[in-house]
Amino acid sequence: MSTTGDTIQHRAPMVILREVVKTYDGKVRLTVLDAINLTIEEGEMVAVMGPSGSGKSTLLNLMGGLDVPTSGSVVVAGTDLARESEEGRSLFRRNTVSYVFQAYHLMPTLTASQNVALPLHLSGLARGEIAQRVRQALEEVGLTERADHLPDELSGGERQRVAIARAVVTRPRLLLADEPTGNLDSARGEEILQVLANIHRKHGATIVMVTHDSGAATHCRRIIRLRDGRIAGEERRNGETEKRRNGEAGKRRDGDAVTR
Amino acid sequence: MRFLLRTLSLSYLRLHLAKTLLTLLGVAVGVSTLVSIQSAETALMRGLRNTVDRIAGKAQLQVVCDGGVPEEAQDRIRDVPGVVAVAPVIEQVVVAEGPASGSLLILGVDLLGDREMREYGFEGDDADIDDPLLFLAQPDSIALCTTYARRAGLRKDSSLTLRISNGTKRVVVRGLMRPSGFTEAFAGNVAVTDVYAAQLLFGRGRRFDRVEVRLEEGVSLEEGTRRLAAALGPGYRMETPERRSAQMERIIENFVAGFNVTSTFALAIGVFLIFNAFTVAVTRRRRDIGILRALGATPRQVQALFLMEAAILGVAGGVVGLAGGAAASGLSLRAMSDPVQNIYGLTEGASTHVDGRLVVLALTLGIVASLLGAWAPARNASRIDPVEALAKGTYTARVPPPTLARLAVGAAAIAGAILVAVFRPLTGLPMVVSVILLGFLSALLLVGPVSSRLVRLLAPAISRLSPVSGRLASDSLLGNPRRTAGTVIAIAASLAFVLGLSGYMDATRLALYRWIDNVITSDIYVRSSAKLLRPDFRFGPELRDELLAIPGVRAVESFRSERVSFRGVDIVVASIEIEGMMRRTKHEFLEGNAETFERGLVREGKCAVSDNFYGLYRLGMGDVLELPTPNGLVGLPIAAVFTDYTSDRGTVFIDRATFTKLWNDDRVDTYDVNLLAGARRDQVMRDIRRRIGDRFPALISTREEFTAEIRRALDAFFALTRTTLMTAILVAFIGIVTSLLISVMERTREFGILKSLGAVRQQVRRSVVIEALVVGLTGLIIAVPMGQLLTVFNTTTVAETFAGWRMPVRYPFTALIQILVALPLVSAAAAWLPVRQALSIKVTEAISYE
Repeated sequence: MSTTGDTIQHRAPMVILREVVKTYDGKVRLTVLDAINLTIEEGEMVAVMGPSGSGKSTLLNLMGGLDVPTSGSVVVAGTDLARESEEGRSLFRRNTVSYVFQAYHLMPTLTASQNVALPLHLSGLARGEIAQRVRQALEEVGLTERADHLPDELSGGERQRVAIARAVVTRPRLLLADEPTGNLDSARGEEILQVLANIHRKHGATIVMVTHDSGAATHCRRIIRLRDGRIAGEERRNGETEKRRNGEAGKRRDGDAVTR
Repeated sequence: MRFLLRTLSLSYLRLHLAKTLLTLLGVAVGVSTLVSIQSAETALMRGLRNTVDRIAGKAQLQVVCDGGVPEEAQDRIRDVPGVVAVAPVIEQVVVAEGPASGSLLILGVDLLGDREMREYGFEGDDADIDDPLLFLAQPDSIALCTTYARRAGLRKDSSLTLRISNGTKRVVVRGLMRPSGFTEAFAGNVAVTDVYAAQLLFGRGRRFDRVEVRLEEGVSLEEGTRRLAAALGPGYRMETPERRSAQMERIIENFVAGFNVTSTFALAIGVFLIFNAFTVAVTRRRRDIGILRALGATPRQVQALFLMEAAILGVAGGVVGLAGGAAASGLSLRAMSDPVQNIYGLTEGASTHVDGRLVVLALTLGIVASLLGAWAPARNASRIDPVEALAKGTYTARVPPPTLARLAVGAAAIAGAILVAVFRPLTGLPMVVSVILLGFLSALLLVGPVSSRLVRLLAPAISRLSPVSGRLASDSLLGNPRRTAGTVIAIAASLAFVLGLSGYMDATRLALYRWIDNVITSDIYVRSSAKLLRPDFRFGPELRDELLAIPGVRAVESFRSERVSFRGVDIVVASIEIEGMMRRTKHEFLEGNAETFERGLVREGKCAVSDNFYGLYRLGMGDVLELPTPNGLVGLPIAAVFTDYTSDRGTVFIDRATFTKLWNDDRVDTYDVNLLAGARRDQVMRDIRRRIGDRFPALISTREEFTAEIRRALDAFFALTRTTLMTAILVAFIGIVTSLLISVMERTREFGILKSLGAVRQQVRRSVVIEALVVGLTGLIIAVPMGQLLTVFNTTTVAETFAGWRMPVRYPFTALIQILVALPLVSAAAAWLPVRQALSIKVTEAISYE
């Protein structure tokens, strides 16, 4: 993948979902995703929208290898996740994808820099390299000054920046963000979206973001709408609009410029 | 992994310091009891080996004979080809009166000839013996080690009073020995006297305790033994000094085995506590585990993280246990020294210290116990589904209901344990271990479901008793079945152990008391020594007639016992005038009856065996028992099998006439004196004392005094096992405290909500205390049948396997009543710390707590 200014050249599919079904067996059998077919190209920034219970987070979990489909195939970066073992999916998560969660999910007893360093330690990287990468990641999200603070000592926006730094420090090919602004006020939310957009532009990582917020979705070129476990629609925005939106970061919240 | 350990694990342990320390204590209690006992055992063994080596000196063989080696045998030994030196020895432990320090080992030796065997250290500035001939000429001469002399403030020509049985003897210090060679044994509490003076002093007659032999170079021990046996004939044994030490070591090992069972039990409970703590830690840290898994941690990494935490706790528990064990080892040594001293003599000089082996033992035990306890929770942690762990609102692990397979395997394990105990397809220790392991397995599988069921049954009553606090307490117990089960297992196992051991002790004590009342029925007992089965001195047979001549005496029986080697084990051969004995005693017969017993022993020269002899060697009525006697191997037909508790290795009874004929020895251990009706016992006892005077030592006691003495000795032994019970109760206490602390932590939000709704301190306190009481009561309900099974197992299978006895089974009601009183108090006390923690919860913090 390569980037030339704001234009991203899409080369190969990063995510391919074929006839994906996900059901949960309880007292009543619940179908959360029903015959989903979806392809996401490498370098795309995609928003997944839909009401509660429509299957957005489940879709994200399948792409990240946190969960496996009941039937169908999920191929991410060439790996068929439905066929991978638990151990294999762990290594896939470690090496290929990263998560940003709504509730941040930081380790409360670790400082910001330690939280960022955590996935690198899991990979067994050398200390020197870990320190360098952590420093870079924190710089990227503008939190160098707060590196030694515990999550409790940080604001919500700062916590989410730490979570983003933790996600990018491994240089993932696919970044999955589940309601990253859901716990933040609008100003902090816009800041976080801006950070994600910058990362997308700078590193060219594929980003899939689940959101309720149509304003947040305007940061993405492509919006996939889910309803009752099915893809209900898809919107693509042109580069012009996206560029303008990025330039007005934090000023507007509505997705009125989204074009079909 | 080091980063994860340092940042995630240690911070969790620090955050929950009280719980961590309690978990650590669970391991440390088990490790410290094992370490203290091992350390004391090592010290005792080392002391014993040093002592035996030093006292044996250069002797290669020791010739011994039941009842002592007659003087005339000395010349026969000297004449054996290949023997270069011979030294007769009498060995006696005495207590010196005055400010002297402890017991004194007196060695009676031939001072002129014994330097071939031992180094006496008579040379040097601070040690001398002026005139050896004067020393020998005066039978009250004694030479002391300077170390002891200095401690006791004695110089040359000082006199010293020795307590021997119930008599006293005055001796004069006529020589001092520098501490070197054998005088270093027992920290210098050693004295030497002439062997012939010792015969007189200690009433050995014209016999020695042993004759020591050195062989010519080139003559092997086997060859020397063979030649000596040929020259001396039957009745003599040739032993190496090491064999003597080995016999003692076996006694110590047997003694220690019981304590090791206790410590292992304490450690097993520690394993449950670790299991409990880690189960809860995994539940509490589900979200963290979910994050780690989302970031790419593999299941193996998660499992390894928890196991490494457990290993760290194990090392810490091992270190604390080692420190505690080292501190308690002195106490253990004292407790273990007493019985050893009773049998052997001195143990002064033995001291405990921590060596590399103990450090390795403590750390290994700590780590292994910890890893065992943490294994299942760590595996569960590795299986946590990250999606579920990170989902909003999911906090407590879902515990699947017990499967039928689990219940079936649990039931099969308990049935298997019972079948193995009853039908015994295995024997000895493997059988006992199999039964215990199967029992543990069934407890692991069944206690969880049973405790949940019990709490569910108790819940309505608790709610009626206290609608809010009671309901919350039972919900807390039911809401976390793994934690509840872990605690209930720890409590139930502790209490079952207490009940099982108490049941065994009660049964044994009652059986022994009843037996004592049935056989100790004479009015007065005249004993030659306080040691019943290894007397230092024996009476001559002529005393019987003297006793019979005292007015008021109707009959006198002469009891004599001898240790005899049978199938490599020292059994007891006991003899008495059977006809007289049968008139006053009651016996329970397994085979034969009073009539076959009396006729067989008195008129047909047969023997009778104790029930445990029958149990151990499977020889009963109609079989012929082959016993080694001074007259060679003798075949004795068995006329009866009867209940008898004289020896745990088995007892053979014969008539006195048979004994004197076979052993050529008519000396007596104890005279049983029976009075005429109306005779005044105190008057007869005074007459006996007057008659014996100070001719020889004698302990004269009434039947009541004698039985009280035996009961005291038994009680002293049972008192040792009480430490086991205390350990079990301490472990149960720790279990309840740990569980409640965890429960309070988990219910922080609940307590916050309660307080925000206006709950007063009393209600919060009550809820925690009720939880403690319910968990204690549940443990007890499960422990009652478990305790009964253990009691039956101990009193029948275990007792029969190791001592051949089958004790009557009794439920330990006394212990149960004590537990019923103590358990609520212990449970409520265990709730103290958790209550404080619950009360200190701040509402604002608690309701945002996750």
